Amino acid sequence: MITKLFTLKNLRNLIIILVVVGVLALAVSGYLTPVFSFSVSPLISAQSWLSQRYLAFSDFFNSPRDMATLRAENAQLKNEAALLQSEIVALQENLAQSEILYTLLDFARTNPEHEYVAATVIGREITPFLQYIIIDKGSNDGLRHGMPVVTQQGLVGRIDALISDASRIQLITDANSTVNVKLQTAGVEGLVRGSVTGEITLDMVPVETEVQVGDILMTSGLGGTYPANIFVGQILTMQSKLNVLFQTGSIQPVVDFSNLSAVLVITNFDSVDISPLVP
Amino acid sequence: MWTYLIGFTGFLMTSMLQMSVFSQWKILSGSADIIILFIVAWCLQDRSKHLWLLVVLMAGLVGTLSALPAYIPLVVYLLIYRVSRLFQARLMQSPLLSMLVLTFAASLLQVLLNIAYLFVVRVDINFSDALVEVALPSVLLNMLLAIPVHAIIREVSIYAFPKGVEA
Repeated sequence: MITKLFTLKNLRNLIIILVVVGVLALAVSGYLTPVFSFSVSPLISAQSWLSQRYLAFSDFFNSPRDMATLRAENAQLKNEAALLQSEIVALQENLAQSEILYTLLDFARTNPEHEYVAATVIGREITPFLQYIIIDKGSNDGLRHGMPVVTQQGLVGRIDALISDASRIQLITDANSTVNVKLQTAGVEGLVRGSVTGEITLDMVPVETEVQVGDILMTSGLGGTYPANIFVGQILTMQSKLNVLFQTGSIQPVVDFSNLSAVLVITNFDSVDISPLVP
Repeated sequence: MWTYLIGFTGFLMTSMLQMSVFSQWKILSGSADIIILFIVAWCLQDRSKHLWLLVVLMAGLVGTLSALPAYIPLVVYLLIYRVSRLFQARLMQSPLLSMLVLTFAASLLQVLLNIAYLFVVRVDINFSDALVEVALPSVLLNMLLAIPVHAIIREVSIYAFPKGVEA
């Protein structure tokens, strides 16, 4: 039995098993690491080389198609971005316009004694010596010559000329414009005149009147050109010369005439032309 | 006919630009008048026989758009037309110089006529303010814009007056 057990064949198998177990034990214990490294590194190098060549080969055939696709996608995205950008700009413009119209609407609601037509400013006077604007509403919208024009801040001017779909407005800053006003605190009346430079001045205030800087000017309604109680401006400075009957002052208008974009035309006020009565 | 059409279309575009954009470009209280610049440049380029008719039409339209009486642009534009014909005959070798000289003269005449008109209608204006704050800055702006306007009209004129270019 023992003789049979230790036959040559079994002995050989046993030796092989012992060698394998020994090698495994050496590998697990780390004694064979330098041997593995030395033997595996050429394989890794070869694998890297092959892999790189394959990737290069693959790129050579696939990349141009991908680049073309990417370029097309990029162009499409750029177009979409440009479209969205233009939409944003348009929406922002609409929003700004809506805000102005809402403010004008608020003004119309808080001043219900008048009827209004809202209009957009579409142009300005060609010559710098005159202060006029052009709006996009005309006689087709019920506008008539002489109708007062306001914004939510205050008085703008009056209609000077009109056609069916547009009107020309003479601003109160025009050199040929005069507005009868009353000073809110001082309680006296005066005359606001425009100038070629677009500034407005207060005139015809009796010299004995004590006028405070910052006093508010409102239309008095005299002369029949403008309705009463519309804001015109605030007094910046007053000047009084010797031996004159009236004092003058510079006015800060409440309306920013350089940024006018929308206005309200008061349609239920009929201005009175008193020029034939002026001697 | 073609040249008149191009000229009139250019004038309309210039008028719209003037009323919406250039009226708001200000130095002190003066602003540029590119309508005058367009007319000066166009008259210097155009040799059409009946150009004066187009000039009268332009003056009429400006007189309608502006609050100024129509005879002021009519006088100024017809003078520009007349002087440009003289310049075409005598100063054709230096078109930019013609443009600058004519722009200066036309702008000055325009602002002086404006001031004169305001005096005539008894508007109480301060002459020195009108001159320093409005007239001179306007002339300066016109002179500055004369060169680019001349360049643009010269380019347009290549298509509008092909025979003139060949000659």
